[in-house]
Amino acid sequence: MIVMSGLRCRNIRIDSLTIPHGITSVIGPNGSGKTSFLRLCSGITEPEAGEILIDCKKPRETDVGWVNEFPDKNILFSRVSDEIASCLRFSHRPCSEKDSAVLAIAETMDIMHLLDRTMRELSGGEKVLVALAAALVQRPKILVLDEYDSHLDETRCFQIEHILRSCAVPYVIRCTQQMETAARGDYLLYLEEGSLLYNGSPARVFASLCQTPFYPLSWRCEV
Amino acid sequence: MKLHFNAVRANRGDWSLAAQGTFCEGMHLVSGDVGSGKSTLALMIAGLFSPTVGSIVSDGISSKMISMQFPEYHVTGLTVAEECRSWGLDSDPILSGINLNHKRDVAPLTLSRGELKRLHLACVLAKKYDLLLLDEPFSSLDAREKERLCEILSQRTGGITILFTHEQTCFPQVDHIWEIQQGELFDRGEMPEALTRWMHAPTLIKKIISSGKILKNISPSDLQEAVCRT
Repeated sequence: MIVMSGLRCRNIRIDSLTIPHGITSVIGPNGSGKTSFLRLCSGITEPEAGEILIDCKKPRETDVGWVNEFPDKNILFSRVSDEIASCLRFSHRPCSEKDSAVLAIAETMDIMHLLDRTMRELSGGEKVLVALAAALVQRPKILVLDEYDSHLDETRCFQIEHILRSCAVPYVIRCTQQMETAARGDYLLYLEEGSLLYNGSPARVFASLCQTPFYPLSWRCEV
Repeated sequence: MKLHFNAVRANRGDWSLAAQGTFCEGMHLVSGDVGSGKSTLALMIAGLFSPTVGSIVSDGISSKMISMQFPEYHVTGLTVAEECRSWGLDSDPILSGINLNHKRDVAPLTLSRGELKRLHLACVLAKKYDLLLLDEPFSSLDAREKERLCEILSQRTGGITILFTHEQTCFPQVDHIWEIQQGELFDRGEMPEALTRWMHAPTLIKKIISSGKILKNISPSDLQEAVCRT
């Protein structure tokens, strides 16, 4: 479980929240604090007050994978295989272990054909896949995705959805502006002005939002 | 007003895009997967990228504007209010309209990405252009803002507006659909006939059509109306 208590940071104010294993989606209006919340979960930002414990450990004591909305911002190496291996290199893992881990994750994600290409050649969707591979290669306990889907087409979104389901990461926390994506998660958080207004299963949270544009259009249009 | 693509081809390494056809007045949707060439097409129309062969000819178009996918590229003002003025606009009505009056004195790049996109689109849509190119206007916007943008675009009259997007659920009412597939721009035709020819239509739209419902257009209200109709 991820347990938050008395959390305060910038405009974020969450008194108490428990997040179960699985895929948790975070939704809310622009400026509601979704990215600030994700930065707290990943340990990039530390709370001004209160704490977050991921299976009893602070985020900075936990293996965290992070995928930015704009993967270009996080690119360190020019070759795809080097980019995917980056965190294994920084933790001084042996070359043989690094190489086999990169091959394994590339095979799982069906991106073997990208390994020898340069990052510059990739399309936006391919860059997201590589960023996801780089985040997953060290088998993190928590994977945090900041609006990774805002520049992806439907095919790529479904591909990543499948990868997230099969990667066996205990906690995936993602923010999204695609309500259909949020509806496919296991748990849902709705933030507004830094406060947590609703949390629970997608069905429960969306029931509270049924009079708003946040209710999935595909649910309104059941055929 | 017309925009003609005469045997246009853009090459970049192994990648290429071919386009042929004419855009008339109205709202055009250009759909295609990530990396298919939507942004390249928009840049070519805007004159910011030259076709390798062929030509793009404007007929009766005296003003044009491109809204790029990333709003940061457009920022020139040091504050939000100054950014509005840099577009030749009075900041008060613009910022009131998008609920950002309280942030008028902050730097645009300190806004959240969605807020910056909102500001940028409000400035773009405050003026009339003969040719308006909107590259992924919905990215980063929240559900409420997407719906609001759809309403504004649906009410837009006059000129040629071209929407380049891979959005899956929220669209304005459109007049014409184009699709980029395997390096080529295909004209799917006028609405609503274009819907049956739209190969990569979003799943929801395909589902509604395949259930036998008659879809007049693709805005959220059109989809709901079609589903509710017996």
